[in-house]
Amino acid sequence: MDALASRRSEVTRSASESKRGHAWGGLWVTFLLAILGFLVIYPVLMLLLGALTDTNPVVEGISLRHLSVTNFLTVLANPNVAEALANTLIACGGGTLIAVVIGLLFSWIVVRTNTPFKGFIAAASILPLFAPPLVAGVAWAILGSPKTGLINTMFKWVGLDWRVDFYSMWGLVFVFGIYYAPYVYMFTASALRNMDPSLEEAAEISGASAFATLFTVTFPLIMPAIVSGMLLSFIVMLGIYGIPAVLGAPTNLAVLTTYIFKLTNWSPPLYNTAAAVAIILMVVTSLLVFLQQKVLSGRSYTTVAGKAFRPRSLDLGRWRWFTFGLGIVYLLVVVVLPSLALIVAAFRKFMFIRDVASLFDARQYSLMHFYSIFDNPLTLRSIYNAVEVGLITAVVGGALAFAIGYTIHRTQVTGRRWIDVISTLPVAIPGLVVGVAYLWAWIGIPGGLYGTIWILALAFIARFMPDTVKSLSTSFMQIHRELEEAAWVCGKGVLGTIRTIVLPLARPGVIASMTLLFVLAIRELGSSLFLYTSNTMVMSVLLLDYYEGGNLGKTAAFSIVQTVLLGVLIGGANWLSRGAAPSSVARTG
Amino acid sequence: MTGRIFANIAAIAGIAGLALAWSAAAQAQEFGSPELIAAAKAEGRLVFYTANFAEVEQQVIKAFNKRFPEIKVEMVRAPGGQLITRVKTEAAAGKLIADVVDHSDRALMQPMADMFQDYAPPNAADYNPDAQIAPQLWPRATLVWSIAYNTELVKNPPKTWMDLTKPEYNKLTGQVIAPSGGTTWTRVMFERQVLGEDYWAKQAATRPVLYPSGAPMSDSLVRGEIAMGPLLYNAIYPKQKDGAPIQIFFPPEGAPVNPYATGIPKTAAHPNAAKLFLNWCLSKEGQTFMIKELGNLTSLKVPPAFPEGFDPKVVKVWFPKFDEYVKLQATWVADWNKTYGYAQ
Repeated sequence: MDALASRRSEVTRSASESKRGHAWGGLWVTFLLAILGFLVIYPVLMLLLGALTDTNPVVEGISLRHLSVTNFLTVLANPNVAEALANTLIACGGGTLIAVVIGLLFSWIVVRTNTPFKGFIAAASILPLFAPPLVAGVAWAILGSPKTGLINTMFKWVGLDWRVDFYSMWGLVFVFGIYYAPYVYMFTASALRNMDPSLEEAAEISGASAFATLFTVTFPLIMPAIVSGMLLSFIVMLGIYGIPAVLGAPTNLAVLTTYIFKLTNWSPPLYNTAAAVAIILMVVTSLLVFLQQKVLSGRSYTTVAGKAFRPRSLDLGRWRWFTFGLGIVYLLVVVVLPSLALIVAAFRKFMFIRDVASLFDARQYSLMHFYSIFDNPLTLRSIYNAVEVGLITAVVGGALAFAIGYTIHRTQVTGRRWIDVISTLPVAIPGLVVGVAYLWAWIGIPGGLYGTIWILALAFIARFMPDTVKSLSTSFMQIHRELEEAAWVCGKGVLGTIRTIVLPLARPGVIASMTLLFVLAIRELGSSLFLYTSNTMVMSVLLLDYYEGGNLGKTAAFSIVQTVLLGVLIGGANWLSRGAAPSSVARTG
Repeated sequence: MTGRIFANIAAIAGIAGLALAWSAAAQAQEFGSPELIAAAKAEGRLVFYTANFAEVEQQVIKAFNKRFPEIKVEMVRAPGGQLITRVKTEAAAGKLIADVVDHSDRALMQPMADMFQDYAPPNAADYNPDAQIAPQLWPRATLVWSIAYNTELVKNPPKTWMDLTKPEYNKLTGQVIAPSGGTTWTRVMFERQVLGEDYWAKQAATRPVLYPSGAPMSDSLVRGEIAMGPLLYNAIYPKQKDGAPIQIFFPPEGAPVNPYATGIPKTAAHPNAAKLFLNWCLSKEGQTFMIKELGNLTSLKVPPAFPEGFDPKVVKVWFPKFDEYVKLQATWVADWNKTYGYAQ
């Protein structure tokens, strides 16, 4: 009788506990949805309104009287839009292909082989991330212009009859590919590192060659990481303005971003049309995200379980010098050549280079561009502002992305699918249009958000939420549930489990994601353009000012300053976290 | 006799003294009353929105600060279309931060004239009334078109606008696109009205490289990506001054001129500093600085100076008729885009 009573009371208690858990879960989801509503839904609605009307919602007031699909249909019927869309898909598709080959190759070389100087190759593999797209574009224009490019000047000097032309679709695809390979690298390297090698050993014992194992066991196992990296690099390319702006402009090769930029830049500006084009971009991206979900759903990719192991490294024998050579070539193409081009442009008075002799003429070089950028008081201010925005974005955005990622992948609360969908939305909106949407949405909010550094930080947090959530989720997906369940069994609550199990295990991923967020925020141009004011000028906007001001020398000089600064900051963060986090940023990407 | 001479001398001295006193007073009044200057210094700063190039305006601010070091000018620079959207949106939300708005496209500024407060510089009477589109808006900067070429690449340089249509310059010329803004629209209008209905078609036949604005085009010209083309004088002159291999000339058929429209919003938080800044920019000293150092023209009736290579006896400046400037823009720019194969 006693036993029965106590059992009954236990049942009631656990029922009431689960009810309480439900209530907390509901409250938590409401809280997240409210944040997402403010950061994502409200601006997207403003954008939709813009696409479907011909008015500025802030100036003319939000009225549905002018609502019509005319604007949208005009855009759909415009052959230039179709051409820009086709160019975009070709450039990003080709670029992604190259990025996957390079990223996968180098993550394998670094994590799984005994190639000499692996750390060095690892560092080289992520270096392109530091270069803002505009800088990459400018550097490759200096190198690869069909008329004045340094590569062609060199060919002529050596007496070769070769010519390269980077002002073309091929140039665009190539530059996209080499600059966005780090995204694939970041995902695949951490997946390879965290993978249980017993499956590979099994393949080998069964008589499969190292090569066959790679393609039948290793790569299929890290498929979520490959697909995520591929998708992310494709989507990031979709939104890049700087590279196609510089390389595509001379031959009038337009992609959607440059087309949207043009629309907002013309006099009078056509924002409503730009918003409509942005909707097309959103649809394309949403399709891709849907496709990825479809491909990955229903399969288990858990490879991190509660078992200790060390990733194996393959002895390549003499071939290891070949893989080392590949690393050197990559470093040369992605880092050394563009840096040399920028250094020449930054220190040279004028960029007219008749021949190789003139290139090495010391009289042509001076520090004048550096003097002149530091003579401008905006330069130091923009550096300070950019770092501040970057830090706020990384910390707040990282925490929010963790909360979202955990809720989506590790809880059963109702409404988590909605959180997933909404937090992925911003991926589809190009930065430039997002800037206008945020301006429209947030300028009227009382409390003076407009004109502060926070409006920029909020825009970046919203804009890069999908990137951060995706990169964090990969590290969640690899942690087996049994580890969390063990903590629950031992009596830990949800927060306790997160603190003692999930956070420590996912730490490399969290740190890498925050670093990525910091870099992305410092480089971000499109959404800054409308949100900065005289007090909150950031580096990327000033860089565009220098570029648009037609000053290649100052643009290059400021690029070098920016790149060195990013390198120092990230190197510093890496060094500081070395004791705390065993997996440094350079290793995880 | 001696008395008369004496009286004359006294009179002359008196007049001279008067003139001196008057000119000293004028000097003091040139940039504004002592009260305005004191009030401006008390405000200590102003926010300046401009569509002109940031670097060019940085020099203007520096020159202004030589005269008034106490006043800090904070600049927000954006291309024309983006600047207008920002101003309109900020104003509608009641958060316009600008104390001065400076724009190249007068057609976009005119409908917004009511947003600006009544303002006139001390030397208002010296300005050409045709350069103004509304009493509140002033031609702070006046830009002029020229043709420039790279002396390292061009052995047989063009001498006229019509020369830019020569087949021998195929693929060597550059053009700033017509929809880029007010200044380019002025040039395009000039080409069709003065050089002939078929000028665009002939020029487009040489397959020029198209640029979104004058600054990247001037940079390309220095690098040798293109060999020649029409450029705003102030976009290329500073590079020539620094020693770039560039030659600039004003073609005999005419030099299209575009005055800016600049005003002080009613909501300006630093109205006195804004007035003093505009007074200085519009003064003889300010205009002379912009002409000599930046390569601008001026809308003053009697120009205090001319940019290098600009002979007022030879060069025919061309001002667009403002009603046509507003009326023709949409259709003519669309025609231009079609002729030059520019996707819009």
